[in-house]
Amino acid sequence: MTVVIEASGLVRHFGAVVAVDGVDLSVDEGEVFGFLGPNGAGKSTVVRMLTTLLHPTSGSARVGGCDVRTQAGDIRRLIGVALQDAAIDPLMTGNELIRLQAVLHGIPRSVIRMRGPELLERVGLTAAADRRVGTYSGGMRRRLDLALSLVHEPQILFLDEPTTGLDPTSRQALWEEVRRLNAELGTTVFLTTQYLEEADQLAGRVAIIDAGRLVREGTPTELKATVGAPTLRVEIDQEHVATTRDVMTGFGEERPSRGGRVAIGLTEGATRVAAVVRALDTAGVTVIHLELDAPSLDDVFAHATGRRLEGSGDEQ
Amino acid sequence: MNIATVATGAGHGWNVSLAICVRGLQRLRARPVLLIPTVVMPVFFVVSFTGAFSSLTRIEGYGTSNVFNWMAPYAALQGAVFAGVGGAMSAADDLENGFFDRLLLIPGSRLPILVGTIGYSAVRSIIPTTGVLGVAALGGLELPGGIPGLVSLYVATAGMAVVFCLMGLTVAYRLRSLRSMMIVQVIGFSSMFLSIGQVPIDFLDGWLHDAARLNPLTNVMRLSRQGFVGEMSWDLTWPGLVALVAMTVVGGLSALRALMRLAP
Repeated sequence: MTVVIEASGLVRHFGAVVAVDGVDLSVDEGEVFGFLGPNGAGKSTVVRMLTTLLHPTSGSARVGGCDVRTQAGDIRRLIGVALQDAAIDPLMTGNELIRLQAVLHGIPRSVIRMRGPELLERVGLTAAADRRVGTYSGGMRRRLDLALSLVHEPQILFLDEPTTGLDPTSRQALWEEVRRLNAELGTTVFLTTQYLEEADQLAGRVAIIDAGRLVREGTPTELKATVGAPTLRVEIDQEHVATTRDVMTGFGEERPSRGGRVAIGLTEGATRVAAVVRALDTAGVTVIHLELDAPSLDDVFAHATGRRLEGSGDEQ
Repeated sequence: MNIATVATGAGHGWNVSLAICVRGLQRLRARPVLLIPTVVMPVFFVVSFTGAFSSLTRIEGYGTSNVFNWMAPYAALQGAVFAGVGGAMSAADDLENGFFDRLLLIPGSRLPILVGTIGYSAVRSIIPTTGVLGVAALGGLELPGGIPGLVSLYVATAGMAVVFCLMGLTVAYRLRSLRSMMIVQVIGFSSMFLSIGQVPIDFLDGWLHDAARLNPLTNVMRLSRQGFVGEMSWDLTWPGLVALVAMTVVGGLSALRALMRLAP
């Protein structure tokens, strides 16, 4: 398999702030690669370096075989980019933006006359094509942004948090489109997200970034396997937290959880749940709520960083 | 079909510049209110100055006894400054809202981004110039220099829009904010006042006289005004053109440097 994105020791400073601190990664042709991390982890900075919008402070990166420092113009021919804040002019219509994007990428008018309507249909915006983008909903803007990034049929597509702020239906629709692009056209997709489910659903491989450093990388299955045991989480009265922790840590290692809850990795698996409940009962702890979760990417993140991802179930 | 590699060469650069220019005009069509400062202020100048100083040009030395002939080119150049800054403001707005990233992602050179934006400013300057001439014509504007006089006014205003657009872009690319355009507006106003916009150079004393003599806008002012205060003359034309070309070159290099620093 050909490697189409590779970075080695990628570093980016903003003054005294180290936004990206030695990131190494490689993405194969035709892969959907998930780049998962909380807000401010450095995801967008990595994307901006890989898409030639920002020079690395040090380290190197190649996209489509071209160096991001010396062959930036060549890289921009190969990639499509939908950035975090959908970069769409609210005063223009969908059609005007598609035509503008086509000119910017040197697509002949005859081609875009056919391709423009196809793209808008693909993202479900045919009826809104002549409306000003300022009247679009957040989901419509995101879908238009995706269509714009596809105008020149890029080999590699960078999607920076494409579903942030979208309702579940719009999110599902965008996921479907990404799957279709990858399956039908073989487009390599580099997807950043702070949503665990998104990475789990879409990505063949996931890298987790925190505070500018990669903390884990692998397929979702491999990553979950590193966490091992399922998480048992109990909700109790605040006064019983210490006792609960004492009892439960006898059954497995404690995991990060929100106040009023205690969570452990249940070492011997789900069969030990009854034993934990009996032990808590014997210790005089009344359990308000109990959950047993198979390992998730959130557990992988928590295991690697000691914190929960923003927007996911538990935060420490 | 893979069409990812069709974007190359000067033809593409020209198309990009044209597309950016057309986009600016589409934005104006979508929100005409954006034109208000560009048109209303210079029209206000021509109306208020000609009203307040209607007898001014009776004094010997203006070259015309018609105050509209003296003030209209000055107001048109003020409008051109607004048009130029307005073009840079649209780039600053794009920087703030993220649209500029889309432009930075075009394949090849980034020079067409600059050319497209100044082209838009130059085209935009036609609107206040025409507006000022229209209002001044109602007040009795005459054109002793004929069509060449009119052409030289439009050339001067387009050139001024380009110069102040480049100055605005330099500031916008460095400071990345819409508010920073205030700096350029202040510079534009000040430099116009320190030229021969309001009175002939012989009427200015001391440092004001020196400032006006050294100010390149004085030559641009003469270029734009010559067809309204007398016959056209090459001696009044070439210094204005040289001033515009020199300011465009300096401003262009400065804006290009700021752009390359913003996105290498």
